[in-house]
Amino acid sequence: MRGKWWVVLGLLVLGVGVALGQEFPRQETLYISGAAWGPPTDWNPFITWSKANTSGTVGLIYEPLFFYDPLKDTLIPWLAEYGQWKTDQLFEVKLREGLTWQDGKPLTAADVVFTFELGKKYSTIYYSPMWDYLASVVNVGDYYVEFSFKRKPLYQEFVNNLYNIAIVPKHIWETRTEEEITSGANANPIGSGSYKYFAHGPDRNVYIRNEEWWGIKLLGLKPAPKYIVEIRFATNNLALGALLKGEIDLSNNFLPGIATLAKLGYVKTYLPEPPYMLSANTAVLFLNTTKKPLNDPAFRKALAYAINVDAIIERAFAGLVAKASPTALLPHLAKYVDDELVAQLGFTYDPAKAKAILAVAGYKDIDGDGLVEAPDGSKIYLEVTCPFGWTDWMEAIRVISESAQAAGINVVHRYPDYGAWNTALVTGTFDMTLNNWASLSNTPWTVYNLLFNHPIRDVMGSGNFGRYNNPEVFALVDELAATPPWDAEGVKAVCAKIQEILLTDLPMIPLWYNGLWAQYVEFTWTNFPGAYGGRPHWLPCTWAGYWQMGGFHTLCELKPAQ
Amino acid sequence: MKGEKGKKPKNEFLYFAWRNWKLRLGLAIVLFFVVLAIVGPRLTPHQPWAYVGPPARPPSKEFWFGTTMFGQDVFTQFVYGLYPVFLVGALGGGLATLIGTAIGFTAGYRGGWVDEILNTFTNVVLVIPTLALLLIIAAYLGVRSFFIQAVFIGCTAWPWTARAVRAQTLSLKAREFVDLARISAARPTKIILTEIAPNMLSYLVMVFILQFGGAILNAATLDFIGLGPTRGISLGLMMQMALLWGALPLGLWWWFVPPGLAIALLVGALYITNVGLDEIFNPKLREM
Amino acid sequence: MQRYLAQKLTIYILTFFLAVTIDWIIPRFMPGNPVQTMLSRAALRAEAVEVMRGYYLRAFGLDVPVWQQYLNFWKAVFHGDLGVSVYLFPKPVIRVIAEAIPYTLAILVPAIVLSWIAGNKFGAFAARRRWLDNTVLPLGYFLTATPYMWLGILLAWGFGVGLGWFPIAGGYSFAMTPHLSWKFVLDLLWHWFLPFVSLFLVMFGGWAIGMRNMIIYELEADYVQYLESLGAPRKLIRRYAFRNAVLPQITGLALQIGTIAAGAVVTETVFSYPGIGKLLVEAIQNQDYFLIQGCFLFIIIGVLLANLIVDIAYLIVDPRTRRGMVGEI
Repeated sequence: MRGKWWVVLGLLVLGVGVALGQEFPRQETLYISGAAWGPPTDWNPFITWSKANTSGTVGLIYEPLFFYDPLKDTLIPWLAEYGQWKTDQLFEVKLREGLTWQDGKPLTAADVVFTFELGKKYSTIYYSPMWDYLASVVNVGDYYVEFSFKRKPLYQEFVNNLYNIAIVPKHIWETRTEEEITSGANANPIGSGSYKYFAHGPDRNVYIRNEEWWGIKLLGLKPAPKYIVEIRFATNNLALGALLKGEIDLSNNFLPGIATLAKLGYVKTYLPEPPYMLSANTAVLFLNTTKKPLNDPAFRKALAYAINVDAIIERAFAGLVAKASPTALLPHLAKYVDDELVAQLGFTYDPAKAKAILAVAGYKDIDGDGLVEAPDGSKIYLEVTCPFGWTDWMEAIRVISESAQAAGINVVHRYPDYGAWNTALVTGTFDMTLNNWASLSNTPWTVYNLLFNHPIRDVMGSGNFGRYNNPEVFALVDELAATPPWDAEGVKAVCAKIQEILLTDLPMIPLWYNGLWAQYVEFTWTNFPGAYGGRPHWLPCTWAGYWQMGGFHTLCELKPAQ
Repeated sequence: MKGEKGKKPKNEFLYFAWRNWKLRLGLAIVLFFVVLAIVGPRLTPHQPWAYVGPPARPPSKEFWFGTTMFGQDVFTQFVYGLYPVFLVGALGGGLATLIGTAIGFTAGYRGGWVDEILNTFTNVVLVIPTLALLLIIAAYLGVRSFFIQAVFIGCTAWPWTARAVRAQTLSLKAREFVDLARISAARPTKIILTEIAPNMLSYLVMVFILQFGGAILNAATLDFIGLGPTRGISLGLMMQMALLWGALPLGLWWWFVPPGLAIALLVGALYITNVGLDEIFNPKLREM
Repeated sequence: MQRYLAQKLTIYILTFFLAVTIDWIIPRFMPGNPVQTMLSRAALRAEAVEVMRGYYLRAFGLDVPVWQQYLNFWKAVFHGDLGVSVYLFPKPVIRVIAEAIPYTLAILVPAIVLSWIAGNKFGAFAARRRWLDNTVLPLGYFLTATPYMWLGILLAWGFGVGLGWFPIAGGYSFAMTPHLSWKFVLDLLWHWFLPFVSLFLVMFGGWAIGMRNMIIYELEADYVQYLESLGAPRKLIRRYAFRNAVLPQITGLALQIGTIAAGAVVTETVFSYPGIGKLLVEAIQNQDYFLIQGCFLFIIIGVLLANLIVDIAYLIVDPRTRRGMVGEI
């Protein structure tokens, strides 16, 4: 048949030109999924927004000075042997001796200095704002780096950067132009890490273990899998199917129905009982405070009481998430929550109270349709949105609109496409929308910087989407950023002030903790992390930025199943 | 769809219509779904998106078609989802038939440069892949409704109709009775209304049926890709939700089988009705 | 014949011109701004934003007047330079597409050719054979009325999830990287099978029905009755009928190509098959205007080429067009 020749021809076209190729032995390969949302495009550690698609770039291929363990809230010295504050404006890092790049060249203090100075040289490097307070980064010999500051640094941001900025080799990057550095693909990356780039396809990334990795000797750590194949499934159901069949070992996708499967023992999760998952970030309902009636604190408060968070957790997440603290802080930062304040000002689901607050503030149902009108008699119509296709959130905002309607507030849910949603979000043309863009970190500053990002600009790209304008809280967030990490009491005191404003004014409503989705099957690899049965305690997560927060250590704990 | 058409006595038409099993079968299925779309929402106490039962249950006495991952009643979604199918089919298919007929007819009847332009235009639009165009148009609109969807489908699905109608018009124009009318100095509109239109009616009915079915399939495709209406429920949307939410690996067949089956049955029935009609209008095709 | 070809070519050139123009308009009239999207991702400070904006404007070719952008676009089309993908930044669109095209062709071309041949044979065979006709006809209509994605889902469910015979996602195994070996080729075929079959089946139904109807028309034609009255053998008559009925089926193929392309889009989506269709859907979901533009352009080119091939096939099969007896079909 003629048709068959076409097939053969098509296949030949596919095969030609790809010289390198092989099959990975199952016993030596770890299959994971859940990090990438698009095809791999670059291995450039300076393009941060695309790192989800090649999440191993930072943590596996390139490494920062420190790792961070959110479960213990401690920094783990990595390329650095230690770091210490010599004065409150001078930070010294001592590098380990015997670090090497994957091309065999030694990694020295000069590489660290080069990396940080890129931020001084180019404003387009994401950490260039550091240089507002950074005076100089200099190396003393091959192993010591001194960070000196012009003024009191933003400690919280600085520490965060220590475990996020990947050190790059000077001898490779120094000849590149600004454009290459800030938007080049950096194919065939040479880092210092435990894994090397091996191959990629539109739906996968493959890493191979670096047998010459410095850490094998200096840290006594060796990750178990020789190959890591990270797969991007087009839909969650495919990831679920592959996991149940043991085709992938670790899934960091949000998988519906996992609670049931975990209960029956088909999959393992970090926690043995609901919510099964650790918390990764806080889902916050942003309210557009420039619009009526959302500019009225009483109305916002009523809304907070009207939303049935338990129903969201049950229906949209099948019990896989936990209710958020009204302060928006994640559980591992609970020591910065002012419990007294929460007891006094915190909100819970209480439709009767919501109605009472509305009545007192003058919102009454005039036309008898069961929905209140504004005090000036105008009708209320608010839309709550999330991008189409974000299925769990789609269900969540359905619950939000339903429970608001039940309390007499006319809220309607809408699912615009991602682009339209994003435009509305950053330009402040939405009414109410969900967002969770503050990732797990070492400091409460991260989430408060999302909630109260400032100053208010035309395009609010990284927080405060509802354009809540309160100089008092902005000053507090700046103060928090500048509070030294060793001053836990100081951090707590500033947090309490921020929390008081948050809870009184409710410019946005923290609802639940989005989970650190992680489920595993142990057909090929065992000893995945867990809070039970002698399992190791690490975040079992392969998302971008999480390799250095437990993901890599998870690899080191794995054992082959026999 | 070619063939001879002529006026038939009414009783003869009905006689053959009743004897034609294809027509009977096709109409019966279509009618069944029409009735279901009207009566269905009254048979169920639930709302399509309301959470009314335990999640992921197979069909039972209480939930006829089972429940979704969230405990929504699949039967309720199904019957509510039928309405937009007919809406988009009728509106989109109707619009496509109307545009196609108008363009094809004008081109065929007027001839000359009008024909040249319209025909070229038709052929150009015919080659442009409709779905790719629809996808892009749909992506333009952040928020979409069934009505808009139907209009867009109608505006892109007309070319083959225009071509076919043009050919029909050309062949009718060449017939004696039109020439007679023209010789008797009748006005063009009168010729069209009294001589040509009745002869084309049976043909247009069949075109409409095909367009109706095509619009349903197009709409389902758009819904499935996630570019359907941003509110409400439709059969395509049900399939998309089922796929997104793991109905395949979890084996929730009751979630994705009914909507697709309904579309296939409905559109298939429309096609069979069409064959039946063709046989009735065109005696030569009847089975011996 | 020349007139026929000239006419066809004029239409195709016009279509191409129009399509490329529409294609050029796409990113410029869509809501949202690709450069803004890129910038809001990076969350930079104000002065850095300006520098980056400059990069992106240049990368996307948006830094010149509109009329020049349009001319540049034409130049670029002929040079195969379709700009840089936003979603896959900094990868050039043409390379993204080049990787996807073999997969789409691998399922589409065999599905079209085989279903057309098999459908025609089968339809001709079933026509006027009562029991076969009466059972096959409804089934064929049902198949051709089946939404592509639903058949895909059913096959994936039955043969993939239920029986476990075939994979339900991807172009090749996750355990492999592309290379030339029998094992890899078999793996490709294994992943290729279900998407191919679901496209094949829907089309097969359509062609079988079309052919069956055509044969019945033909068997009622005057020449058949004449042949019958001469006592020609039934077999010969059917062969004549088939030969005549094939012509409209070829025209039908040209008419169907657009719809088939649509079918490929959803089928690839169901099976996560890494072809142009899936790419287009992803590009739309991520508002990657330049990738949408590129995919659309390639679909247009594909459809035009397919039409041209069909036209040439028609010329070869139908002697009347060759002799210029038919101005237009």
